[in-house]
Amino acid sequence: MANSLRRQFVLALAAATPFMAGFGSTGPVLAQDGAIRLGIVAPMSGPNARYGAFSLRGAQLAAKEINDAGGIDGRKIQVFSADSQGTPVEGVSATRRLISQDKVDFLIGDVSSSVTLAMQPVVEDAGILLINAASSNPKITYAAGVGGFKWSFRNYPTDENRALVVAQYAAEKRGFTKFAVLSVDSDYGRSAIEFTKKYLPRFKGQILTEDYYKEGEVDFRSVLAKIRDSGAQAIIMYGLADTTPIVARQMIEVGLAGKIPLIGNGEFNTEKTIKSAPKAMEGAVEAAAWLPAYDSDKSKAFVAKFTTEYREAPNNHAYVHWETVRLLGKAVEAAKSIDRAKVRDALKSIKYDSAVGEVTFDDHNQAKLPMILLQIEDGKPAIKGAFYADIDYPR
Amino acid sequence: MLFQLSEQIVNGLVTGSVYAIVAVGMTMIFGVLRAINFAHGEYYMLGTFGAWVAIEYFDLPYPLSVAIGVIATALIAMVVGQLVMRRMVGMPAEAGVLATLGLALILQNTVILVFGGGYKFFNGGYIEPVTVFGISLAEQRLLIIVICALVFVGLELMVTHSRIGKAMRAVSQNIECCAVVGIEVRKVVVATFVLGAALAALSGVLTAPVNVSVYGGMGELITFKTLPIIIMGGLGNVRGTFFAAMILGIAESLVATYVGLQFRDTVGFATLMLVLMWRPHGLFSAQARY
Repeated sequence: MANSLRRQFVLALAAATPFMAGFGSTGPVLAQDGAIRLGIVAPMSGPNARYGAFSLRGAQLAAKEINDAGGIDGRKIQVFSADSQGTPVEGVSATRRLISQDKVDFLIGDVSSSVTLAMQPVVEDAGILLINAASSNPKITYAAGVGGFKWSFRNYPTDENRALVVAQYAAEKRGFTKFAVLSVDSDYGRSAIEFTKKYLPRFKGQILTEDYYKEGEVDFRSVLAKIRDSGAQAIIMYGLADTTPIVARQMIEVGLAGKIPLIGNGEFNTEKTIKSAPKAMEGAVEAAAWLPAYDSDKSKAFVAKFTTEYREAPNNHAYVHWETVRLLGKAVEAAKSIDRAKVRDALKSIKYDSAVGEVTFDDHNQAKLPMILLQIEDGKPAIKGAFYADIDYPR
Repeated sequence: MLFQLSEQIVNGLVTGSVYAIVAVGMTMIFGVLRAINFAHGEYYMLGTFGAWVAIEYFDLPYPLSVAIGVIATALIAMVVGQLVMRRMVGMPAEAGVLATLGLALILQNTVILVFGGGYKFFNGGYIEPVTVFGISLAEQRLLIIVICALVFVGLELMVTHSRIGKAMRAVSQNIECCAVVGIEVRKVVVATFVLGAALAALSGVLTAPVNVSVYGGMGELITFKTLPIIIMGGLGNVRGTFFAAMILGIAESLVATYVGLQFRDTVGFATLMLVLMWRPHGLFSAQARY
């Protein structure tokens, strides 16, 4: 018996391995002459699939807009998509597939920091231009530009900025000093907490409990009960959008709702999340790169266009991918070529007029961007301001 | 301190009940087929999706959606049983592993193809919190514990008193003898398989309101949580499965509280390794049944 059981296990593992590989690449498409070949690496399945769907739609919308307007100097943007499943292993093979099979010159990806960190050496070896649009781990651009990787850029604010903005607001405006941590167990969730710890002493804050959840976790009762009994005044959560409603619902169950707010990031401000547990989300504080309610003409025009196209309001990931494809378009226009090195040099000195302000890149290939702080009041997100912070690169 | 401990034990019992309903089906299927059903979590997922479709597309009330989820899954299991599982009788272990893993992929990806890979929001059930002995928990969780108890009492009565139940036990003891005395082994196998799949679906539908999210890949984790339980309980052992599920549920809950949430999933896998090393025939039986 024990023997046959072991055999079953080995077989199961052997059989399962190839199947874990991804599906979802759009397959070979005949190249148009001189087209701008752009690969999008995003989680199209798995726990972050929602992010991936929004990302791809945002990128496709931007490509469609540009192509409908005649392209860039007559060149159309051709979008290729590959599924990272939100894991570094799949992300790297998706990246390789796009580079070697679809012959892309430019890449945008991934959403997850863990995946982006793994993609960086791959694009560096291949000499393909990567513009990340949605990962917030500071290490990505610590290691780019003068930090090492010449082909990695990021058009997204980092967790360092976010952690500071959130900690400051929680301490100064809400008067919190005792915190519980409940973040996702990933490079994003852990690094956000690392930087929160760097700034908390400045505001006399302390962390009472610290827990990290795995992607796909559904049972938070134990840890929420522990937080309830710990005397914490707020839960610092850098989490996943799909998990926030689960946590919020269980906060109501264990009697935390309305007493301890969530602060951090994890799509606290979408209608869907708030509707799932209005009592638990009231008073939640979130720092986001962008949100649909952002007040600028360009941003509002994007929301309107996306909503008509897909019959769903865009999220942050849709916006950043839309904006980054347009940014790439501008860089190609400025370079007057689709030569990768020329486009890269154009990007370094670009002054791009985005929906949240002018974008320039520093010597670490990191875009200077604001973080927008908002609080849920009466079931609706209220914007509390936009904050820039200079990044203190380690020497 | 004592209150916290008792609250966590209650949490563990709820988790254990969910595991128990899924695992008992898997262990019974193992009993008659001698094969681990690696697609078992997918029936949990199918049940949840069935109920979700009933609520989302047809606006049906939750209790009705539970029935629809379970019945739809049972029908799918019947087709799978006729086409695939009945051919597994007397086949080597490899065949069962490959067939069920293949089924898992087909079922999972069909659902992703039809409904998309994103998370769906399950809008139903009884999520209002109630307080029992000072412990606050959703009504749905009490329902899960009650139904789990009913399921196990029902199964116990079935395998000891009903004709089909006795046939299931007989097949799990000796297939050749059953064939000799005229028990239709393949029919019993398919019936057991459908029952097991329906129980997995029931567990999924009952948990959906508190787990909120519904998605194509949700069954995978369940399959891998169920494995240590059925091995701990002794493969094919219904009562052992019940206690093993409760032990794992409570252990997970305590680890999540006192060690850290990130270590929760390690409990099952660590247990699996230890049991395979020292008691491969399970915690509750002195010798292997097969």
